[in-house]
Amino acid sequence: MTNDRGASIRKRITHHPLSVRIAHWVNVIAGGYLLVSGIHLFLDFPELYWGHTGYQGYPAIFRLSDWGLSWDEAGAMGNRMWGRNYHFTFAWVFLLNGLAYVGWNLKTGYLQRQLWPRRNELTLSRLGTEIHQQLRWATRRRSTATEYSPLQKASYVLLIFVFVPLMLLTGLAQSPGFTAAWPWMLDLFGGRQSARTLHSIGTLLFVLFVVVHVIEVLAGGAFNRIRSMVTGTLILPRSASGSRQDIDAGELHG
Amino acid sequence: MSNPTQFPRHGQISRRRLLLSVPAFSGLLGTACSRETFVPPTVRGGLTGIADVLTMSLNRLVLADQPLAREYDVSDIAPEFPTWNQTNPPDEEYQRQRRKGFKDWSLPVTGLVERPSSFSLEEIKRMPARTQITNHVCEQGWSAIAQWTGTPLLQLLEAAGGVKPQARYVVLDTVDGWYEGIDMFEVVHPQTILAYSLNGNDLPTGNGAPLRLRVERQCGYKNLKFLKSIEVVESMVAFGRGTGGINSDWGFHWYGGV
Repeated sequence: MTNDRGASIRKRITHHPLSVRIAHWVNVIAGGYLLVSGIHLFLDFPELYWGHTGYQGYPAIFRLSDWGLSWDEAGAMGNRMWGRNYHFTFAWVFLLNGLAYVGWNLKTGYLQRQLWPRRNELTLSRLGTEIHQQLRWATRRRSTATEYSPLQKASYVLLIFVFVPLMLLTGLAQSPGFTAAWPWMLDLFGGRQSARTLHSIGTLLFVLFVVVHVIEVLAGGAFNRIRSMVTGTLILPRSASGSRQDIDAGELHG
Repeated sequence: MSNPTQFPRHGQISRRRLLLSVPAFSGLLGTACSRETFVPPTVRGGLTGIADVLTMSLNRLVLADQPLAREYDVSDIAPEFPTWNQTNPPDEEYQRQRRKGFKDWSLPVTGLVERPSSFSLEEIKRMPARTQITNHVCEQGWSAIAQWTGTPLLQLLEAAGGVKPQARYVVLDTVDGWYEGIDMFEVVHPQTILAYSLNGNDLPTGNGAPLRLRVERQCGYKNLKFLKSIEVVESMVAFGRGTGGINSDWGFHWYGGV
């Protein structure tokens, strides 16, 4: 909306498919609960270790008390019962939602069409150009985009098919039941405490993703972009919707 | 760390041998397909209850072959084993037993067993033992590798004549007022032992002397210390708030596999 030149020449397009919109907002809720409950769990035992063993007094690789919050202060803020109940509940919501999203959108071809990078999009020079443009804040072009840029495609594919499975596995590798069934998880991550540490680092990456994602949405015309994720409708200025080349070179926000 | 099959230890009994030696329990294997294997004794309301059932069911599906929890090498044993919650129950009778080295201490095994009995610590120690070096996984976040020696719970129940066909849960009571129920799927597992030894020494007071439960595929809170009595039951309804254990009465998951 911010870049519209005149209401009479705007064009409305249906942007995000319904399945993507539903999956997105379920993820916002599930991801929010996972983050908050995960922070509760961390605060209730605010140290990180490497290997199989780790307890208060054992050599730690991270101690929250070194950063000004004592064990007792952190413990008073973290509720592990609430944390465990909601972490595992919304892990299921997140997992089932993700499986439905991937399954449905593989079937419809949406993932292959919209998210899977084309071969020529992953060349070093193309990615270099994209990063350069990204850092220049090419706002006008971004606000009219109806397709994902190569950088976005790479980010989302890595997020869905690498990051999320790794978060799931580093979570499961902390479970005495699942590691009895799949002990290779302990070998993969180097032990239960290593898995907990990697899971915590992954949480920071998740927060970083959300911050960048929200900044991108705001930069791309917050109202228009958020509406397109709610109702599916994206409003484009006529100049942008007229030329296919323009759109191709553009990028979709969020 | 090592695969247990590569490092057989003296006095260790295999699952196969254990199960074959207990004809009274052949019926129990049939319970592997029953509801209790997949669903907690009480299902909470709302999304959390649905998630509880999904978690337990998936866990039990992938554990259907009853694999052992990973066993480690002696060199992996943690320099110390933390003590949490109750470390020395003030109970008068307990303190009297402790001062006497638990010489008169005994563990009643009652409920749905053929011969309700009481076993002294000496009798329990004379039963076939299992030694296992495992990682104790606390639900709070810590973990520590330690060596435990004890009598398989199944062995003890056999000594009480075996369980009756309607048996579904084994309820363990402790000196400090805790209780937990574990289902037969967990009871028949060879690593489910009543441990009297930690890292080759008598179980220290802080770790639950004289006898504690080791249920290696569940979190620390199911591994009760200071055992007082054992009862085999069909239903958990009559205990505490009826959820199946003190931790689930408080609001934690009944099934401690995650």
